[in-house]
Amino acid sequence: MGWTRFFRRRAWDKERARELETYLQMETDENIARGMLAEEARYAARRKLGNPTFIREEIYGMNSIGFLENVWQDLRYAVRVLGKSPGFTLFAVGILALGIAANTAIFSIADAVLLRPLPYRDAGRLVMVWEDGSSYGFPRDTPAPGNFSDWRARNHVFDDMAAFKWDNLNLSDEGSPEHLIGQAVSANLFSVLGVSPFLGRDFRVDHNAPGTAHVAIISHGLWVRRFASDPRILGRQIRLNSDRYTVIGVMPRGFLYPTRDSEIWVAWQLTPEELAIHDSHYLHVVARLKPGVPLRSANADMTTIAKQLEREHPDTNAKVGAYVTPLRDELTGDVRPAILVLTGAVCFVLLIACANIANLLLARATGKRRELAMRLTLGASRSRIVCQMLTESVLLAVLGGSLGLALSVWGTQFLAALVPTGIAPLDESAIDRHVLLFNVAVSIGTGILFGVIPALRISSLNLVSSLKYGGRSGVGSGGQRVRDVLVVSEVALAIVLLAGAALMVRSFANLVRVDPGFRADHVLVLRTPMQMQKYNTQAKRTAFYDQVLERVEHLPGVLAAGYTTWIPLTNEGGATGITIEGHAEPAPGQMPIPNARIVSRNYMKALGMKLVEGRLFDEHDGTGTQLVALINQTMARSFWPGEDLVGKRFKRGTFREDVPWITIVGIVGDVHQAGPAQPARAEMYLPYQQQEFFPPDYLAVRTSGEPLLVAESVRQQVWSVDKQQAVADVMPLEQLVGENLAPKRMQASLLGGFAGLALLLASLGIYAVLSFAVTQRTQEIGDGPFARAEAVSDWRGCWPGGGPGTLANVGTLTVWRQCERSTFVCRRDFGFGRSHAARMLHSGAPSDARRSSGRAPLRINLARDALRERKRYERVAKLFLREFRVTSCSNHQVLLPVGPVGHRRGIRGRRQL
Amino acid sequence: MPKKDAPPLQGELLQGTLDLLILQTLVLGTAHGHTIALAIERRSEDVLQVEHGSLYPALHRLEGRGWIASFWGTSENNRKARYYRLTPAGRKELRQQASRWDELVRAINRVLRPASE
Repeated sequence: MGWTRFFRRRAWDKERARELETYLQMETDENIARGMLAEEARYAARRKLGNPTFIREEIYGMNSIGFLENVWQDLRYAVRVLGKSPGFTLFAVGILALGIAANTAIFSIADAVLLRPLPYRDAGRLVMVWEDGSSYGFPRDTPAPGNFSDWRARNHVFDDMAAFKWDNLNLSDEGSPEHLIGQAVSANLFSVLGVSPFLGRDFRVDHNAPGTAHVAIISHGLWVRRFASDPRILGRQIRLNSDRYTVIGVMPRGFLYPTRDSEIWVAWQLTPEELAIHDSHYLHVVARLKPGVPLRSANADMTTIAKQLEREHPDTNAKVGAYVTPLRDELTGDVRPAILVLTGAVCFVLLIACANIANLLLARATGKRRELAMRLTLGASRSRIVCQMLTESVLLAVLGGSLGLALSVWGTQFLAALVPTGIAPLDESAIDRHVLLFNVAVSIGTGILFGVIPALRISSLNLVSSLKYGGRSGVGSGGQRVRDVLVVSEVALAIVLLAGAALMVRSFANLVRVDPGFRADHVLVLRTPMQMQKYNTQAKRTAFYDQVLERVEHLPGVLAAGYTTWIPLTNEGGATGITIEGHAEPAPGQMPIPNARIVSRNYMKALGMKLVEGRLFDEHDGTGTQLVALINQTMARSFWPGEDLVGKRFKRGTFREDVPWITIVGIVGDVHQAGPAQPARAEMYLPYQQQEFFPPDYLAVRTSGEPLLVAESVRQQVWSVDKQQAVADVMPLEQLVGENLAPKRMQASLLGGFAGLALLLASLGIYAVLSFAVTQRTQEIGDGPFARAEAVSDWRGCWPGGGPGTLANVGTLTVWRQCERSTFVCRRDFGFGRSHAARMLHSGAPSDARRSSGRAPLRINLARDALRERKRYERVAKLFLREFRVTSCSNHQVLLPVGPVGHRRGIRGRRQL
Repeated sequence: MPKKDAPPLQGELLQGTLDLLILQTLVLGTAHGHTIALAIERRSEDVLQVEHGSLYPALHRLEGRGWIASFWGTSENNRKARYYRLTPAGRKELRQQASRWDELVRAINRVLRPASE
């Protein structure tokens, strides 16, 4: 069968018709020749030929591609049918669009975060290696350089291990000084990741040797932004901090290790001394597993090495373990469970939407029973009808899906914040191929899912009764049961979602309620990364801080300003070991290690921290005076339980180290450094004039007005002290707090939103089912409530079997409201209640009703007093016509179309009257 | 040879047999649908009663395969009729189908009357 025939099949059909006509004529001629009458001869010829239409259809079918032909036909039919009921179509497409949009949007996030391969060679073998310092309160500690070099030398499971540390890099040659997010890296970092520079070359091992020329590799973004994509960037000298670095490479676009914001990587010059440090933990270690080595073996090997190190360096490595985690887990963090939860939620929403549409389709199909019964009788095959109904539902779903795709593109931008910084961000300008495929698959799958139940139900309808009673029986109570099941599932799903959302919102509310230990309002935060080469003595640094603070505090609108090493929420660690005066030497691994914050005098005031006992720092705590410290409540509780603290002393370092004692002058409230979800650690605050092993970087400024208003003048004051000083991360502290809570807030609000959507859809589902049931039983109801003042039990009949517990109640409630509505109509419009109306209309009814259990119309004689108020009556009659589809109505009688009336309670109810 | 009064084998034609019969009929020369139907009926002595209607889809199918060709002509009693003739491909197909048919008949006979041979 050629394509030409497919397109010429109409012409072919005409020709066949002519050919068959020729046959009939010839046969007729012959029959006449045999002596038949003309009429008879023609009939005989027809009998002999068979049904010409069938023959033509068969040939027509041979010329077409049957399946396509049917689909095309069904599609046109579906378009017509849907076009005819725009209300239903809009409603269904709208619901589906919402459901599919939610799924598509969440899928695009899940795809970006969980499914898409990481942009590194053979990324499944990449792991990160951590120290396990659980006994010190750091279950996931950044490794010490000494441990890193020992692991690297001794392990049997890794191809290679690379390390990096976050570095303060102040780019200050051309233009304004700029603080770059960068890392000092071991030369093999990029080769471990399996990514080569896009321009230039990778680091060589000798770049890590101390005393060699400094080299750097920059990100594609920085190259474009700062160096205008100049290809002569290679070999160019740039000034970072106070050193000159030669740019030797540019990383490819989209390279984002360890985060999206990383813009520069410098070869880290590791001295042998630094590589032997075991007690200072600040590295990030990434390693590539040998092919075929499972995570378990890697962990076992690392544990073995950690045990060896524990024996070799009891002072520093006691109770320090080591373990590996897959790189993807590190990069996705706790977003993974959130995405899984949300995926479940949107699936629920879509299922509810499906159940909804299935219900509506069932209801509509019931209306189409007669048409379908007719088609079945005329010889349409059931599979053909099922196909046609499925085409209709798939068309609906695809329409909904396309709209959903558009919605999801818009919605995805709100979800973009869910993508962690170590993962490529969503490309918002283009629709991803995966997402498109997913959308199409979900649309079609949804269409089939919600279409199949109505299609199967309707195609198996009882022909005789459908044709006979038309709109009344046929699908019958079985269909009702399916609808009930659908509504029950909808409500069940919605309730599951609601419960989940309520839990999440609740836990979020709890988080918000946690007292963080500081007041975030009216605080401006900024960072002045200390240039250690320039300010290479404590005196110089102290002078810098003094001057900056002096100038900033005198700005108008500034209430207090304070420096600290790390503002809350920027570093949960930053700890150092101490020895407590009067305590025995601790066993290895038992040394107290509180967090340390080097601060300026007014830091507590600037942050709004609470003083619990003793005093804050004052102007006497400076260079050359008694060494003092403030400690937090957790530290007091853990290290001096039940003791009177003020005046107690401790020193930094081990028991045997000869360092000066530090006196505690006060106790301050706990600050949640890692956010409200994490408990506060023991923490001490030391004035920068006395101790500054961690030079302060963060400046917190408490303002009387809007914090950002003083940002510019604060920056100017810093530059007036040192015009090469970079000022970074300027923001209100509230923003930092907001960002910390953002993922949780987002999860809670998303889940809440989806649950709300689910509830809405489920309610719509219930409404649709009930209003359908009500329409279906109009005539029964028409008898019932008007016969009795008590209408509810009758209306409840719309709900066969009562439905399961809660649902029945919900159902009853809705139904009751429907009854009430019509009662109110009576009352409001006519000044009398339903029972009044019923009495008026039904004074002669009981005997008629008893007779009317068959199919004869029910006649209700109108009471005489109604006739008297004729005008009023006419309005009532009109109402009945509208509300209860009364077929006709005269001055004396209301004629109700009666179907199988008399079962259920209608009749009994009337008797009671 | 079946007896004259045996019931006609209507509706029991083997799949593909109708094709064979049509091709065989056309060996003698061009014919239109009516003639072909009558010819099959007569030559099988009314045993094979082709439902005349089913002939046309078969003709269409054969034409689609290129075994027969068709053209409009005028019949003996001066009516426009669509005539069919055998193509060379059809002739070849007929030879093949006929020999397959013979084989089939021989095989069935061997099964049915093994002793009488």
